[in-house]
Amino acid sequence: MPPITTILVVDDEFGNAEVLSVILEEAGYRVYQASNGAEGLRRAEELRPDIVLADFMMPVLNGADMAKALRAGQDGHKLKIVMNSSLSESVIRKHFDGYDAFMQKPFDVEKLLAIIRRLSGRATS
Amino acid sequence: MSAAALDRLSTGLPGLDDVLGGGLFKAGVYMVQGAPGTGKTTLANQICFAHVAGGGRALYVTLLSEAHARMLQHLRTHDFFDEAAIPDRLYYVSAFNALETEGLKGLNALLRHEMKTHRASMVALDGFVSAAESADTARELKKMVNEIQGMASLQNCTFLLMSSGRTEPSGAEHTMVDGLIELDDRLFGVRAERSIQIRKFRGGDSVRGRHAFEIGQPGIEVFPRFEALFGRSARADPQAHPLATGVGNLDRMIAAGGWPASSVTVITGPTGIGKTTLGLQFLATSSAEQPGLLFSFFESPDFIRSKARSLGLPFDQLEEQGHVAIAWQPQAEHSIDKLAYQLLAQVRARGVKRLVIDGLAGFFESAVYPERSGRFFACLANELRRQGVAALMTSETRDAVASAVPTPYGVSALVDNLVFLRFVESEGDIKRLLSILKVRNSEFDSGTYAFEITSSGIHVQGRYTTRGDVMPRAEPIGDKWREEGSHTSSNT
Repeated sequence: MPPITTILVVDDEFGNAEVLSVILEEAGYRVYQASNGAEGLRRAEELRPDIVLADFMMPVLNGADMAKALRAGQDGHKLKIVMNSSLSESVIRKHFDGYDAFMQKPFDVEKLLAIIRRLSGRATS
Repeated sequence: MSAAALDRLSTGLPGLDDVLGGGLFKAGVYMVQGAPGTGKTTLANQICFAHVAGGGRALYVTLLSEAHARMLQHLRTHDFFDEAAIPDRLYYVSAFNALETEGLKGLNALLRHEMKTHRASMVALDGFVSAAESADTARELKKMVNEIQGMASLQNCTFLLMSSGRTEPSGAEHTMVDGLIELDDRLFGVRAERSIQIRKFRGGDSVRGRHAFEIGQPGIEVFPRFEALFGRSARADPQAHPLATGVGNLDRMIAAGGWPASSVTVITGPTGIGKTTLGLQFLATSSAEQPGLLFSFFESPDFIRSKARSLGLPFDQLEEQGHVAIAWQPQAEHSIDKLAYQLLAQVRARGVKRLVIDGLAGFFESAVYPERSGRFFACLANELRRQGVAALMTSETRDAVASAVPTPYGVSALVDNLVFLRFVESEGDIKRLLSILKVRNSEFDSGTYAFEITSSGIHVQGRYTTRGDVMPRAEPIGDKWREEGSHTSSNT
């Protein structure tokens, strides 16, 4: 049995983080939360997730700076990063373009799950 | 600190700076309060976008309020939204987690950090009620607001605190803030009108009371209560020449030779009598020196043009030359103040000297507070006089054959010139009669004259004589008009 994919959801909006976590857990993933980029870095260091699902505009440290730090860290190149934002991708790219996928909020959950399945190496149903 | 030492900060919202007497004060802390749906979030975002458009930097902090993605979707529908400003000049964050885990201290710590990171000169905190609910005591909330005041003052940053709380302005937080802006959305019968009221404004004089506002594609537009801003009296220019009425024999009935410049004339009469025709003839003598404007409520521009053609009036040509314009207000739910500002904007933009408001009832039917009508009309008339406008306003009487000289809301006392048109039956025929009841600073022929409308317009004929008494009793009917409902106006 393959190991369970772990996902770190980093989002400052309480509702977003909660709902995403529930959806991903119901899809069979192990999910952790952080509410800003700095906390995201700490939790990523501690938990070594397979995928980080990161919001862009957050307090303390934004998603782009967090993602840059994650990429620069140990095994950062192996980490899958999904950026999401209410802003368009062209805006986000100016700040960070090293992500594996981007989703503009509000997004379709099925599309998100398809991206997560692809990045986690799960067969698509 | 004296008021003179305080710098103002434009809100960027049309009309709101006028209500505030010039804008907010920089580094002030302002609470925006209103029930859900009254427009707090739109107002705060519009102010933030205006602030960053002017070179400032803003931080929009939410607690338990609308999700950012949804909020931005809504904001994208407004003209003031500029995605290019986000995230570098305008940044959105949620502080709910900080509030939830560390309380008010955590919230303020986050605000301090984000203000510094983003060098914000404006902070909007949306969902203040969540912060208030987190305070165990009123004193704790006061301390939190006090800390925000410190941040505002030390970092020269203006704060907007949006709250959907329904507390009276005696609440702990209200005593601390520099200003309290209240938004409301009220029903008047089946009709709703949004309003804004400045309940508190330290350091400056705001225009007190409620002011209508609208939320449309451009964003929020505030219409300061007209009579609160335009109370100045007008002085007649003794050098100004009278303006020809457009009807030869009518000019001759007035010793001055026409309507006085800077004056307001009301033409009252029943439907079909010729009020609009009289107005069109007045406008048909517009020129580059005396531009004309038809502010029409009931008849469309095409109908007006067609009518003018049928009377042989060169309306098309005057429009082409830019000497005349038609501003049509289709029958809808208008704000009386918005109408007045639209009218004045056109008068100023084109330097209008000849104005016809066809259907005075269009204004009065827009008033959700009918008791304002008299003051409103007096101020509108004064402002038009100040702009040097000779204004002709038509007012429809209820009955085809009138038994009184009805001018709604007693405007007859406020106008300079009054003309009464009516039908009378004479030996089996219906005749049109015209009487001038009042002309400012000029003698006039007070006789009753028959007139007819032909393919070349109105022709005033001879004095009308009869054995019977055809002159009705003059009677102000403001209350009666209101009680019995409005006229179905089709101004001819």
